[in-house]
Amino acid sequence: MKTVWSKTYNWINERVELDGLVEFMGKKYVPVNSHSIWYYFGGVSLFLFIIQVVTGILLLLYYKGGEALAFESIQFIMSKVQFGWLIRSIHSWAANLFILTAMIHMFSVYFGKAYRKPREITWVTGMIMFFLALGFGFSGYLLPWNELAFFATKVGTDIAGVVPVVGKPIMEFLRGGEDVTGATLSRFFGFHVAVLPGIFTVFLGIHLLLVQRQGMSEPVSYADEGAKERKTMPFFPNFLLRDMLLWLIVLNLLAILAVFFPWELGKKADLFASAPAGIKPEWYFLFMFQTLKYIPGRVLVIDGEVLGILVFGLGGLLWLLVPFWDRKSSRGERNRFINYAGLGIVFYIIVLTIVGWIV
Amino acid sequence: MKRLSRMMMLFGLLGCVSVTALRAQDKCLSCHEATIGGQAVALFKRDIHHAKGISCAGCHGGDSKTEEMDQAMNAKAGYIGVPKGDEISKACASCHANAEKMKSFGSNLPTNQFQNLQESVHGKLSTSGKERIVQCTTCHNSHGIVSVHNASSPVFALNIVKTCTKCHADASFMRMYNPSLPVDQLDKYRTSVHGIRNAKGDVKVAECASCHGSHDIRNAKDTKSNVYATNVPSTCARCHSNSDYMKEYRIPTDQFDKFSNSVHGVALLKKHDLGAPACNSCHGNHAATPPGISSVSKVCGTCHALNADLFSTSPHKKAFDDRKLPECETCHSNHEIIIATDKLIGVTSEAVCSRCHGEAQNSKGYAAAKAMRSLIDSLENSEKKATELVNEAEQKGMEISEAKYKLRDAHQARLESRTMVHAFNEGRFRDVASKGVAVSATVSEEATKALDEYVFRRLGLGIATLAITILAISLYIFIRRIERRQSRGTQ
Repeated sequence: MKTVWSKTYNWINERVELDGLVEFMGKKYVPVNSHSIWYYFGGVSLFLFIIQVVTGILLLLYYKGGEALAFESIQFIMSKVQFGWLIRSIHSWAANLFILTAMIHMFSVYFGKAYRKPREITWVTGMIMFFLALGFGFSGYLLPWNELAFFATKVGTDIAGVVPVVGKPIMEFLRGGEDVTGATLSRFFGFHVAVLPGIFTVFLGIHLLLVQRQGMSEPVSYADEGAKERKTMPFFPNFLLRDMLLWLIVLNLLAILAVFFPWELGKKADLFASAPAGIKPEWYFLFMFQTLKYIPGRVLVIDGEVLGILVFGLGGLLWLLVPFWDRKSSRGERNRFINYAGLGIVFYIIVLTIVGWIV
Repeated sequence: MKRLSRMMMLFGLLGCVSVTALRAQDKCLSCHEATIGGQAVALFKRDIHHAKGISCAGCHGGDSKTEEMDQAMNAKAGYIGVPKGDEISKACASCHANAEKMKSFGSNLPTNQFQNLQESVHGKLSTSGKERIVQCTTCHNSHGIVSVHNASSPVFALNIVKTCTKCHADASFMRMYNPSLPVDQLDKYRTSVHGIRNAKGDVKVAECASCHGSHDIRNAKDTKSNVYATNVPSTCARCHSNSDYMKEYRIPTDQFDKFSNSVHGVALLKKHDLGAPACNSCHGNHAATPPGISSVSKVCGTCHALNADLFSTSPHKKAFDDRKLPECETCHSNHEIIIATDKLIGVTSEAVCSRCHGEAQNSKGYAAAKAMRSLIDSLENSEKKATELVNEAEQKGMEISEAKYKLRDAHQARLESRTMVHAFNEGRFRDVASKGVAVSATVSEEATKALDEYVFRRLGLGIATLAITILAISLYIFIRRIERRQSRGTQ
């Protein structure tokens, strides 16, 4: 057995010089400290993304885009295709867990100031991927063409249309016309399975390459400790195997969720029906949706909804560019403002999401 | 007591004396009688207002006590001449809407007629746009007004139909206000029991005002109208449920109570389903039974068309005709029609078939009824079982919408079978019932599969969890072994 393995390895090594890569990975170390747990969320996010790709491809074998067939094809997948129910439920659950783990990963990087020099590009690519993940969620939500998805997309694209100057053209571009119709479904399908995955893969490649090249970021406090106190573990195989252990647990969690809480399909979208009561977006958009509800119709001379969108847009931009304006952290100095601002944002998101869920 | 009656007589005498005196003072009448004469004067002398001592000036204004024409017919004295348009009704209302004045004339008439008229369909503006469609004089005439109980009154029970049809039978006039309203009500009315008796001089039977009201007539689509669909039964019941009033006609007076408890009555009166029949749906509005229908029992077929068609080709048709039995009514009753359940068919004590079909006599019908009941019971049971299985699978989160959709076919077959009963043909009934049983069986099979799949999923999850747990523990042990080896290496 060992001979077969060695022969295979050697065969590949002769051609692509695997030794260099193994040597590089063998020398790569991951810091071990009380915050090490957060390092795993990047890996879990990657695993969930892989799950999404695999289950997404399997769903593509049966899914039929289009107003007349989308709902029925998902119904077919759920009831007739062998393990179709499992694949679809895992795809839906994994999508939500992916956003959640990506969010945890993002905040852990933020609070650990891991975005500081020289990892600015890693942060920016990660943030772009996070925005793309939200795009995946928004576009994928419509694909079953059910009532909730239809109206959530209507509300979501309506909000996009409020943005001054560019809002209306963006809304029409997203919808493929004035209203949410079958044309919107075709467009969202295209974004979900071709455009977004293509762009995402490029940024994921850069992100992973940079993580491997630069290694894991060490906490700011590491600088104060002596070389002896700094504990580490080899990335390969220790960290990777631990990562895989966590992946197994996540896989089991997905299976449990899919079996006990299969993702519902609901009623087919009816373009002429009135919106059912209590239409809400997916949980990760809920805090923004709830905020827009609380803003008065008019604030001074600006429309309340426009103001809300502009504030969120500006907030997102500042968040994206944090490595470039937080100079203190880059210099290795403590920046309490970043921590307080981050805590405030986390608190705000959690509270508004809960309120949005309950109300 | 004697003293009281004497006093009353005295007051009556004084009243007569004062009315006679007032009449003697009406110079308008005496002057017009002496100079112009004419119909108005002749009619007014018979008018109830004249009898009550009201002079011409009561409506036309002016001073009725002077013989001087310039003074009597002077605008300064309030003379208005012949009232036009809405002024007519206003002139009437000046007394008839005033309770005090009416009391002073010893009248106990209601004083809300004018208000009712204004709110009624007749109180709408006429095509001229200047006045309301109907004034008091349109129905009551102007001079020669007499009590509604007086046979010469145009609104007397035997005359009112003609009064109403002066306009309502005039197609060119009615076209101006409601082109869709028929103008043949009088002709139809004369074919009804009410119309026939009315023509013979029966003042108690219903005429136009009995159902539509007098001053407060509203459009039949107005929910406040006496003839609005949900109000029709109580309008009819005003007479037909009054046993004293109906005594001489010797017909039952419990129709309203029975109807209220019937499937039709509950739908109409409790659920406010305007599609449900009211009294007039079967008995006709103005005519006796809807036009083109020979008997009330045939009316059911106007709504229950399929049932009626099947019955007319069934063996029961001839049997019922021979025995002069009404068709639907024989099994379903008339006013108190209850929801037709499956229990109506069969040979049990609740079933209507057994009333005629005994085991010994009419044994063929008995066997057919028994078989049909058995089939309808199987159909019900199979549908019930399928529904329960589908609900269970759905409640367990299984995707079962296709089977649920098919369940509609099973239910449809059950409804069809209930209709097919009216063919009284076991073979045809069996075809429909078997179709439903087959659909229910397919649905049950699919639902059972979904429930098996539910168990399989949990079992599969258990096995997968076990496998993943073993793998995870092995991996953990492997990591620990590596790390132990690494720490030994560094030492």
